[in-house]
Amino acid sequence: MTAQQAKLTIILNGAHRSAEVDPRMLLAEALRESFGVTGVKTGCATGDCGACTIAVDGSIVKSCLLLAAGADGADITTIEGLAQAGELSEIQQAFWSEYAFQCGFCLSGMLFAARDLISRNVAAGDEDIRKAISGNLCRCTGYENIVSAIRKVIEAQPS
Amino acid sequence: MPLSTNRALWSIMTIDQVTAPAESSDYVGARVRKHNGAAYLTGRVTYSADISLPNMAHAAIVRSPLAHARIVKIDTTVALAQPSVLAVLSGADAAKTSGPIPYLLDPAGLGGHSADVRCLAVDKVTYVGQPVVAVVASTPADAAAAARLIEVDYDELTPIFDAEAAMAEDAPLIYPDWHTNVMFAGTFGDDTFEETARSAPHLLHGELRIQRTTPSPMETRTYLADWNERAQQLNWYGTTQNPHPQRWVLATALGLTERQIHVVAPSAGGAFGLKMHGHPEEVLVSVLSQIVQRPVKWVESRSECLLAGGREQVHRFAVAYGDDGRVHALRDQMIADHGAVAAGAGWGMSFVAANSFPSGYDIQQCRVEYSIVVTNKPPSVGMKPFGKDAPVLVLERVMDLVAEATGLDPGVVRARNWIREDQFPYTTSAGLVIDSGNYHGLLTQALDRFGYQRRRDEQQVARSEGRCIGIGLGFEMLPEIADIPGSFVTAYDSATVRVDPSGQVTALTGVTSPGGGNDTAIAQIVADRIGVAPSDVAVVQGDTALCPYGTGNLSSRGIVVGGGAAALAADDVALKLRTIAAAMLEADLARVELRDGFARITTDHERAIPLAAVAHGAYTLGYILAAEMDAPLESTRVYKMPNVQQVPDAKGRLSTYTTFSNALHVCVVDVDTETGRVDILDHFCVHDCGTMINPLFVEGQLQGGVVMGIGAALSEEIRYDDRGAIRTDAFKRYLMPRAIDIPHLRIGHQVTRSPFSSLGAKGAGESGFAAAQASIVNAVNDALRPFKVGLNVLPLTPPRVLAAIREATRTAGAVG
Repeated sequence: MTAQQAKLTIILNGAHRSAEVDPRMLLAEALRESFGVTGVKTGCATGDCGACTIAVDGSIVKSCLLLAAGADGADITTIEGLAQAGELSEIQQAFWSEYAFQCGFCLSGMLFAARDLISRNVAAGDEDIRKAISGNLCRCTGYENIVSAIRKVIEAQPS
Repeated sequence: MPLSTNRALWSIMTIDQVTAPAESSDYVGARVRKHNGAAYLTGRVTYSADISLPNMAHAAIVRSPLAHARIVKIDTTVALAQPSVLAVLSGADAAKTSGPIPYLLDPAGLGGHSADVRCLAVDKVTYVGQPVVAVVASTPADAAAAARLIEVDYDELTPIFDAEAAMAEDAPLIYPDWHTNVMFAGTFGDDTFEETARSAPHLLHGELRIQRTTPSPMETRTYLADWNERAQQLNWYGTTQNPHPQRWVLATALGLTERQIHVVAPSAGGAFGLKMHGHPEEVLVSVLSQIVQRPVKWVESRSECLLAGGREQVHRFAVAYGDDGRVHALRDQMIADHGAVAAGAGWGMSFVAANSFPSGYDIQQCRVEYSIVVTNKPPSVGMKPFGKDAPVLVLERVMDLVAEATGLDPGVVRARNWIREDQFPYTTSAGLVIDSGNYHGLLTQALDRFGYQRRRDEQQVARSEGRCIGIGLGFEMLPEIADIPGSFVTAYDSATVRVDPSGQVTALTGVTSPGGGNDTAIAQIVADRIGVAPSDVAVVQGDTALCPYGTGNLSSRGIVVGGGAAALAADDVALKLRTIAAAMLEADLARVELRDGFARITTDHERAIPLAAVAHGAYTLGYILAAEMDAPLESTRVYKMPNVQQVPDAKGRLSTYTTFSNALHVCVVDVDTETGRVDILDHFCVHDCGTMINPLFVEGQLQGGVVMGIGAALSEEIRYDDRGAIRTDAFKRYLMPRAIDIPHLRIGHQVTRSPFSSLGAKGAGESGFAAAQASIVNAVNDALRPFKVGLNVLPLTPPRVLAAIREATRTAGAVG
């Protein structure tokens, strides 16, 4: 029953990495178990909760909806790669100051959804923000402070 | 720095003679951000599923596909032959090395019924999803694949899925030796309703059907057991809200001593009551680890997590009231559908629901008759706000129905029925002694800031334009910080505060955090007392080998008792530090304060010694500086709420709750009569949980609770097919609110200190849900008043709303 392992080579948070993975593994599972980036969270494994959202080749994806083997050669960023040289990004800072996470389980996915919106819509209003994070479930915050954090980053951007 | 050799100073000054410094408020009360936020933001926080141990194996569980059946035969041959499979375990196998799981609170001990709950079903299954067989393999995928190769033959029994049907004389019995399906039944309040009703001007009757919902934290349950045969020691890591009681559960079920077990609760990804103890898998992974002699991990899938549920109740109420809107008497007959038995907290929730009538209203003639009934659904689990939401919903509907009948404003009716500020402490008809409150103050602030009268005017205009706008009030009164005799639900907890020789501050607590900010708030409490920043305080929680004994988190207790204990311990350590510093500075102790990482003279800030130097002195120069005082710089203290009443009063009542948070919510909804969709246009609440250590965290609890309440009011519902299999097994079908469904939430605060808790706090961990749910249900009913329909079956989904409107329109048409 044990499946033949396959070699997966990726750029993970800027570094070339490879590991043996079970071809049945989802990308989220492989990142957590074979590459050790446990900041990627699995909340449902059915693409509904968004906790596993990461960036693959510059686009955000729910990493529970991809098989690991399909990501060979991809450039992947996880929450572990968001801070640069130990400095939290503006979005990370805003999530902290606005208390936009409590238990933190949805945080990684929310940060990527927020980052994606901010990169493509510099004039996003609250409705746009709420739409942008509506693929991500949070059970602690009621979303209020997540919206505030994203709004804060958008307002601070040079127009 | 000259060292004092003045022994005389120490001979005259004992610790008892020194008054602790006045409470500093630099950090307590401030909107301090999470002290360990950077770790969260960079993915460095460890949750249970993130832990991997060398040589770790993985468990998968074969669950019952039938709701009620005898297990005839289990064939594990094919599964066992798989190369990666290490063990397959049936209920009969498991019963050889493990006993029943002890109840959080055994209903049999209180006059009800209970049954053996095992980690795997033995002989019989009582719900779809019950664990029947476990498989251990080298990888999760191999375990799951092997689980599919196990064949179980069942002999099907008649299932029952409706609590009222289960109460019928001829209903099939789920636990035949009970001779009934009623697990627990009782009453609260005097049986005087009929008598009072006879003389009351008016009577009304109503019914409410509350659906089954689920806590569903984003992190599912996860357990990892590591049995060390050589040391005869079990290391157990997992999603538990209550590490110390969890250790007792494991020891009892496994026949081990508590000292053989080390429980670690890593950072939690939300809990909401789900992660209280008593789940079969807690014991199961431990048995499996003992068998395969390797660490065994089990991570619950989301569909397994959605099996958990609770809150399902039917309420039938009768109200006697006057023209002035004053309620003279209330009777509520409550039937709770518990599902199958479980060792956890679920059934207690229904008991608390009955015990919490009549919310914060001054209705002494309040009679509650309740039955907690078993059915062949999965067992109820703990869910915030632990049953207190049901009386809130009933009473808030009652107030609106009385308002409608009398033509009075709903706010006026509430104001005439609330317990007044001068009536506290107030003993309810059910025996709870409510400490304090200012409910009328909530109303004044809420109506004013919400612009209530203007909203009512706007509603009239909207109605004339054919729009269905509704305004709803919802008041919640939440009994908190419980102490239930015979259980580990306690109104006390402990904390250790330690300053090491290099001056680093650590607080170790018996309370745990399900993910909110109690750890940071405790850091604030300690920081003020030791004179450092919260980020300089390490808070250690959830480890039975490191932390002093405690109950963990439930009943909003983290700050009141956990923070209370930490404050006492920090005061002890601060006094030691000041004593040492006074000797070093050759100053009077009363003139030494701890600030900004220094011990300094209050009137001369230049005369200061770094905390690290003081700490080092305490450990190394004790004989010179303070011979009467012992190192280490450490204290373990307990904070215990003083107002628990566990001796029955003349009417046989206990008062098991010690603080009573409250809030008033008001919201506006727009009901689309074409689609039945409800949009929440505005939601405002005024909240009172006594003293707030950190308003940011209080608001966070509240916002999360409100959104969970919105979900329960409008969309969340666990549904089953006609054979008891769950249909809402994914977030595609179990509809939790998403950001787009939620309006901007506005919050106001009122602070009415608890006269009993040392910090003045009342607990905020369960706030928001009940009042939000009630206010929305009231608002939707208010919106539909022109149709003369009452919606009393939750949740108010578009199909239900639409059906009610169509029915009303059809009936009106037939009459007209």
